[in-house]
Amino acid sequence: MADGLLLVSNLSVRFGGLLALDGVALEVRDGRSTAILGPNGAGKTTLFNAVAGAVRPSEGRILFAGDDITSIPPHRRCRKGISRTFQITQPFSGLNVIENVAVAIVSRGVPMAAALREAADYVAFVGLEAKSAAPARTLSTGQRKRLELARALATRPRLLLLDEVTGGVDQPSVPELLDLIRRLRVERGITVLVIEHKMDVLHGLADDAIFLDRGRVVTSGSMADIAAHDEVRRIYLGDADAAA
Amino acid sequence: MIEVLGRRPALTLSVCVALFLLISVLPVNDYVLHILTLSLIFAMFASGWNLTLGILGLKTLGHHAFFAIGAYLSAIVAFYGGVSPWLTIWAGAALAALAGLLIGLPILRIRSMPHVAIVTLAFAEIVRLIFSNLKDITRGELGFWGIPPFDPVSFGETTIRFGLGNAWGSYVLAGAFFFAVQAGLLLLLRSRPGMTFAAIRDSEAAAESLGINLSTWKLAAFALSAGIVGLSGAIYAHYVMILTPTSVAGPEMLITLLAIIIVGGAGRFFGPLYGALLLTGSLELLREFGEYRMLLYGALVIGFVFAAPHGIAGLRIGRLRRRDRRGTRERSSAA
Ligand SMILES: Nc1ncnc2c1ncn2[C@@H]1O[C@H](COP(=O)(O)OP(=O)(O)OP(=O)(O)O)[C@@H](O)[C@H]1O
Ligand SMILES: [Mg+2]
Repeated sequence: MADGLLLVSNLSVRFGGLLALDGVALEVRDGRSTAILGPNGAGKTTLFNAVAGAVRPSEGRILFAGDDITSIPPHRRCRKGISRTFQITQPFSGLNVIENVAVAIVSRGVPMAAALREAADYVAFVGLEAKSAAPARTLSTGQRKRLELARALATRPRLLLLDEVTGGVDQPSVPELLDLIRRLRVERGITVLVIEHKMDVLHGLADDAIFLDRGRVVTSGSMADIAAHDEVRRIYLGDADAAA
Repeated sequence: MIEVLGRRPALTLSVCVALFLLISVLPVNDYVLHILTLSLIFAMFASGWNLTLGILGLKTLGHHAFFAIGAYLSAIVAFYGGVSPWLTIWAGAALAALAGLLIGLPILRIRSMPHVAIVTLAFAEIVRLIFSNLKDITRGELGFWGIPPFDPVSFGETTIRFGLGNAWGSYVLAGAFFFAVQAGLLLLLRSRPGMTFAAIRDSEAAAESLGINLSTWKLAAFALSAGIVGLSGAIYAHYVMILTPTSVAGPEMLITLLAIIIVGGAGRFFGPLYGALLLTGSLELLREFGEYRMLLYGALVIGFVFAAPHGIAGLRIGRLRRRDRRGTRERSSAA
């Protein structure tokens, strides 16, 4: 409890007749990277939306660093240290790459010139320097994912929510991107929550895992334990034996 | 920010100012000056509206209400209170800004753009009806005449006079106000507010996830936008010296200004100026067509929407982008 950075209790999110999250409880400890697993439509993105403040829960509480953030708006959660990327990328398409990142920095009150310089560092960190001046709408999906990572980092988060960050990234550069994410934890002490569909990606990235299905937590524990869970194997590895 | 500001905004603005000054020393006839004066006033109106409609991407269709509020308030205080228009225009702008805040509040809660359009349009209609029904003060559709022009300004021997009939003074005055507002807007758009507005327009979800308070910024944009429009209305009132509710807050004003913004380039900093110059000019030329004028106007707008969807200000950027694309293709084929 003392080192619980994020504490979610009895969280439900309802979309009309659909209960996208149904009494979810979980704890993410400071510095422990956690994977959110589950089939399509399990409620993984909805969980991120609720933690980041983009959707309003119908029930439950969310504590971050000891504060109740359940009813505060997204921009204030960002100030408190929660940052996220989007499964379907949301670039500021009329701005170039550096400007996209600078948005996060000027919104902390940094003057424009300094913000643009600082933004360049984050852009370089995610390996997009060559695209610095390119309008965001010209980026490939993989490049957009990197851009969102840079933008999220520029808010100086304590907790980073990554929604399928390797989606659309060309295969050869996936290991390098994963290495970046690992460095966030080691070098900057950022706690990372990741949604990923590729099991091989998750090993070495997450310490713990939470498995969601139809809005409920099916099981949670260390990454190794969860990866061995029958249901998880069935969905992630297409393990026909486990399915039977 | 290049999409909004274009390549060298400060230089472009300086060139416009230089042209404006050049015209002021050339022997230009009064009728042309009159059209240019109206163009500058409408360009200011459009640049204020463009903040919410184009740059922030909110489909607000009722800004002619703020024009009317600025115009009528300034005219009423100057006429009945005997206060100088040099002062009353600020009261007009302030009241318009306040009205902008008030209408901004419900709009924050509305996510659907068609509804935003309807609410703002209805607001403008309410404002028009209020001014036509306050007959004791505004004389309704009979027209509020006798509005004082700006007081003359003297520099030693020379005295500059304003108002309809004093074409040169009015032209210089409209230009001074317009370019002062543009310079202020340019500074604003090049710093945090400009970047924040662009971010909000492209993705509200991402903007707020990065620490941007959507309500605060949208309300600020609304108030500023309405304030600029109100100021242009006030300047208009003391220039033409007669107002009717329909002429300032009626559908013709709405269509004219929308056309200026669309043809000039919605969301582009220089769009309103280009649009106002082209359309105010052509509106005058089309006067001989009488009732068919608005029809031709509509055709012009439709033509632009198809031929140049980003307006006049977007033409150059479109070309640059095509060139970029071609460049990229050449580079990748070389690789
Ligand atoms: N804004 C919304 N309005 C209505 N229904 C929604 C909304 N967002 C999500 N849902 C529904 O909630 C359920 C959970 O969706 P969610 O996006 O959280 O799943 P997910 O686990 O992220 O799936 P995926 O792996 O496909 O990304 C789905 O049935 C989805 O259709
Ligand atoms: Mg999802």
